[in-house]
This record gives sequence, structure tokens and C-alpha cells, in this order.
Amino acid sequence: MDFPIELLINAIIAGILLGGFYAAVTAGISISFGILDIVNIAHPAFIILGAYIAYIVNQTFGFDPILTSIIVLPAFFALGAGIYQVYYNSFEKYGQDALRGLAFFFGLLFVTEVLLILVFGVDYRYVQADYIDKTIRLGFADLPLRMLVPCVISLLMIGALQLFLSRTFTGRAIMAVSQDQLALQLMAVDPIRIKTIAFGIAIATASMAGAFLIVIQPIEPSVGREFIGRVFAICVLGGLQSLPGTVIAAILLGIVESLTATFYGPSWAPAVAFGFLLLTLAFRPAGLLGR
Amino acid sequence: MRNPIFFIIAAAVGASVFLIARLIGNDYLFFAGYTVLQFIVLATAWNILGGYCGYVNFGSAAFFAVGAYSTVALHKLGTNIDRYASEALAPLLKAAMPFSIPTLTIIAGIVAGLIGFGMGYLTLRLRGAFFAIATLALAVVLQTLIVNWDYVGGSRGAYIIRPQEVPIIGSYIQYLFLLMIALAVIALTAARVIERSRLGYGFATIRDDELAAEACGVPTLKLKLIATTISGGLMGMAGASFPYYIGYLEPSSAFGLAYAVNSIAMPMIGGTTMWAGPLIGALLLGIIQQVATVTISSAVNLLIVGLLLIGFVIMAPNGIVGMVRDFLRVAAPERVDLRAVKLLTIAGYCFLVGLGGVVFGLSAAMAAKNSALTSLGTFTIVLSMVYLAAAYGLLKIESWSPYLTKSVLAVSIPLSILFIWLDPSNFNVVALTISIVIDLIVIWLLQDREIKQLYQPITQRRAVS
Repeated sequence: MDFPIELLINAIIAGILLGGFYAAVTAGISISFGILDIVNIAHPAFIILGAYIAYIVNQTFGFDPILTSIIVLPAFFALGAGIYQVYYNSFEKYGQDALRGLAFFFGLLFVTEVLLILVFGVDYRYVQADYIDKTIRLGFADLPLRMLVPCVISLLMIGALQLFLSRTFTGRAIMAVSQDQLALQLMAVDPIRIKTIAFGIAIATASMAGAFLIVIQPIEPSVGREFIGRVFAICVLGGLQSLPGTVIAAILLGIVESLTATFYGPSWAPAVAFGFLLLTLAFRPAGLLGR
Repeated sequence: MRNPIFFIIAAAVGASVFLIARLIGNDYLFFAGYTVLQFIVLATAWNILGGYCGYVNFGSAAFFAVGAYSTVALHKLGTNIDRYASEALAPLLKAAMPFSIPTLTIIAGIVAGLIGFGMGYLTLRLRGAFFAIATLALAVVLQTLIVNWDYVGGSRGAYIIRPQEVPIIGSYIQYLFLLMIALAVIALTAARVIERSRLGYGFATIRDDELAAEACGVPTLKLKLIATTISGGLMGMAGASFPYYIGYLEPSSAFGLAYAVNSIAMPMIGGTTMWAGPLIGALLLGIIQQVATVTISSAVNLLIVGLLLIGFVIMAPNGIVGMVRDFLRVAAPERVDLRAVKLLTIAGYCFLVGLGGVVFGLSAAMAAKNSALTSLGTFTIVLSMVYLAAAYGLLKIESWSPYLTKSVLAVSIPLSILFIWLDPSNFNVVALTISIVIDLIVIWLLQDREIKQLYQPITQRRAVS
């Protein structure tokens, strides 16, 4: 039997597109976990929340889901800022009590998921947009628009985020806050305010990632759990604080997952991310681009 | 109390629980009790690593499922020995099989313990958060493996046909219940022994400051590995008899998120630094969930668990045990006196009424057909919140709390009368009359001069003494 080269190339392309989407999903974790050291395991729940908001608006007004997610960015930012204030006042202020902080976010994850189940039920929901059913064909390679659009916008979003973090004063302060809070205070910057902004941004990315998710696949409230392992695998592999590292790791994981799904069957795909994570933690905890 | 004496008392309590349950003789009681006991074991096991060492394990469900699936695998092996074993081995295995549940429990414990050890070995050298994330990962990896493993049923699930009767005890569910009691007694004793041994002090140093402990020569990695192994093993043991209990095991039920969240929430709510914490948390949450599952729905009971977890983590970071301990430190520094006992009882009563009210109010609000019932349910929930606040204030010795307690009790007396009038069934009349009597007694107790003195604002308290 000939090796199915076309299948291989298509799987790799699908993987790259998937990876672009994973990068958007992980960007928030790279900020909250990588930079701020807040283990926000509830992030996937906020992504699902974003997806449902896109769904409601799309169903009632027929708005484009991704456009909707950009419009609700400020709301998600406020949500993130609020959560950080609670987190800071209850846990971070009293020193390193990681145990309770983790339990707090675990509780948030759980409550969000159960509330979504109570409101929407466990049926799969999907959105309508003109580009969802179309596919661009280049030779034998398929580029489905429902994957391509999220991938491109996701990379644009991460590019903008990277520019913000490296070029603006606030962005640089966010990068600095994890390294030396005292130095930041000496520059007359309030580290808590900076962290609040950063966490708000992290949660805001979840809104867009949620819209991408519902464009790519139908969702129900508990699909978020599948992403917990993925996002942390990508984040750790990408070297925690670096957005470019996150993108590379996301694309790598996307390709491997897509190849696994194509050649061994989709039921094995979830284990790939976690296998990745365990191997990375065991052998290269600093990540690909880590020092 | 010495450890052997503790074990004997625990065993005696366990035995009397079993005897009382038999006297009542309702099969449902055994089914519900089994679940609660299973959560006691899971919560205690989680606490050995999470509470004593401070390492969060999100993968309780994975260890639990490993235990359950090791039983399934051995059960299948037992029924098809000739197909899998070589001719020389077959008669030998046949003599040993089918394994009894205690044997299966021990095997499950060993398998899950080994997985815990391997897991810890891979990740425990890193920061604590990585361990937590890796345990989440482990759950999904194992679930994928089980889903793709046809021998134990894959995603179709596996049937285990349990015998109807067992000798001496009678019905099978009672046998399982008894085994679970035994396991809970063993787990609690183990937790208490560890807590007061060299090992436990070592764990506590890791929890408080791992770097300093390491610098002082505490073999932290070794201790952490011991903790993950014991904790994982106990969780596996809790799962071993589950297939016989449920009769049909499929991956998504064995790996259910409910196990993960409960085994974290229960110790967190009860208190993580003491063996009694997980026990209290498991009894409380376990019973609430049984009630809520019957009266409302399983989704809502998980919501209650999640909200309680968040609430406790923010308001009472040391759980119920920690709150009581802090209260006694202020209210009765030398020895526990009558006043402290009275106040603890009142606070406990308010807390239980508040929790029960939330569950009841939710069930009324969700099931209601008309807006009157919905608003009644909502009102009950609000009132219950005030009860919870009163209990919180009493334990925290806030000066406003006696007034709040008295007024909330005073409000609920006419409400109880209203309910009796609305639905004069026998149960309602008895229960609500008892609650009115208790309310009156509590209001009378709170008039006590000594109690008033305790709740005076701090500035005035100094002036009096």
C-alpha cells in the first residue's frame, strides 16, 4: 500500500490550523499562569462561557460570532479584573497559599460549567455564519474556512498582544511584575493594578477563543474540560511566559493531534496532549523556548 | 488518645452504624450510605496528600477509576480463565478465583498506589502547581486508555453481575456497605496515625515551607512520594468494590468530575489539617448530595458543592474544624466550658438549618409551577443565607451576631406556623413544631449574661474585665 502522502499533508495543514486556534485558547493561560503565576484552571470554563455568549447573540440577532466576541471583550476584561480582586483579597494578600487558590479556581470551573448545564442543557449548540461551510481548495490540500478564519484572527490577536506586551509601558510592566514587584513599585507603578489589568486581558482572550471554538465545532458545557490539559501542555511546552513559544507549541500540538486522529483514530487524540504535558514536565520543564 | 484505642472506638462506631442501618432495614439506606462512606474514604485519602502535604490532586477520579477497573479486569479474567492463562497456570488461578472483594480491594490499592508513585516521581520535583495540573492530565490519559481498551469494555462499559446473597450477612448491598465501613475505619485510622507520627510532622513541614524543610534535612521527595502512594492507594481501594455496587461500569461514570470535586471540596469544607475534617466534610456534603439528588437534580447538587467550596475557601480557609478551633481559642482558652458548647451547638444548628434551607429553597424554586412558589423558594434561600451568616458571625465572635441570630430565629417562627397552616401533613407538623421549640430555646439561651459578655465589642469587653 502506498503511503497516503495527500492524507499526510492534509493532516498537517489541519494540524497547523488547529494549532492556531489552540494558541488563542492558551494565550490567556500564558498570561495568567506563565506571567502572573496564578494557576487559573477555570480558564476553559470562561472560554465555554464566551462561546455561549457568541451563540446567544448569533441566534437572536444573527451577528457574526467572532465580531460579537470582540464587542464583549470589555465585559470579559471586567469579569477577569473582578475575579482577580477576589483572588487577591482572599488569597494572594496572605502569602503563598496555593492550595486554596487552586481550590477556588477549581470551584469556579465547576460552578460555571454546572450553571451553563442548568441554563442550556447538555445539547450540542452551533452557530451560523457564511464562511462556516466553505472550503478553499489548493491542489489536493483543503483549507476549510471554519478553521482558517479562527486561525488567522487568532494569530492576529496574539500578534497584537505581543506588541502590547513588548512596546507599551503597561505591557512591559505586566512582563516585569512577575520578576520584581519591588522594582515596579519603585517606578511608581502599583503592581496590584498591573496584575488586575493583566488578568483582565487574560480572561478577555477567553471571549475570543470561545467564539473561535464555536465556529470550529459544536459545543456543550463540558467540552471545556478537554482543554484543561491542552492549554497547560501548550503553556508549559511553550516556556510559560513567552507568547511566541506558545504559538509554536500550539502548532506542534495541533499537528501531532491531527496526525494521531488521522492515522490512529480520534479517540486517541485527547491523550496526546496529556502525554505531551507529562513528558514535558518530566524531561524539559522549562519548555521549548525556556532558558 | 492512643492509636489502638482510636481504632477500637472507630471500629465500634462503624459496627454500630451497620447495626442501626440493619435495624432500620431499608435497602435505600444502604445504597445511599455506601456512597457517603465511599466519599469519606476518598476525602480522607485526598487529605493525606492535599491537606497534610499541601499538594492538590485533581485526579482523584483517575485513582478511583483505576481501582474500579482493576476489579473489572480481574473479574473478567476470573470468568474466562481458560482463554487467557496457560495450561499449567489455569488450575492454580481457578482455585484462587473469583477473588473476594477484600482481596480485590487490596489489589486495587496496590495498582493505584503504584500509579500514584509513578505520577509523583514524574512531577513532584517541580513546583506544586505542576503536580496539580499533571494530575488533571493523568485523569484524561487514563480515561483515554480505558476507552480504547476493549478487554474491560472500552467506551461501551462493562457489566458485573453481582451475586444476590452472601453467607452470614444476607443481601449483597449490606455486605458492600459493611466492607466500605471497614475501609472508612481503616482510612481514618491511617490518617490519624500519620498525622501524629514523624511522617505527619514531615508532611507538615513540606506544607508550611518546603524549601526550609529541605534545607533542614527533611527528605522531602521521599516523603511526598510516600504521601502520593498512600493517598492514591486508598483512593483505588475506595473504587475497588464500585463495579459490584453499580453493576454496570462505563468510563465516563468512573472518571466523573463529581469524584474529583467532592474529594477536594469535602476536606476543604471540613478542614484539612486534621483527620476529622474530611470526615465532617464528607458526612455533610455526602448527605446533602443524597438529599439534593432525590429532591432536585444531580446537576444542582454539584452546583451546591461548587458554591460551598468557593464560599468556604474564601470565608473560612481552615474549614469547619479550623473555625471551631479558632472559636474555642477565644471563647474558652483554658478548657471547653458549657458556654462554648452552647454556642457551638447554636452555631451548628444555624449552619445546618441554613444549608438545609438552601437545598429546600432551591428545590422549591426549581420545581415550582407558579410564581408564588418560586418567590417563596427564593425567599427561603435568602433567609437561609442569613442563617449561614449568623452561624459564621457566632463562630467568628462578631458583636452583631447574637442580634442577627435572634432576629432570624424570630422571623422563622411565624414562617414555620405559616408552613404548618399551608401543609398540615404529619411530618411537617412534627418537624416544624420541633423547630419552633428549638428557636425559642436558642433565643432564650442567647439572653444569657455570660454569652452577652463574650459578644460585647472588644473595647467594651476590656472595660468590663
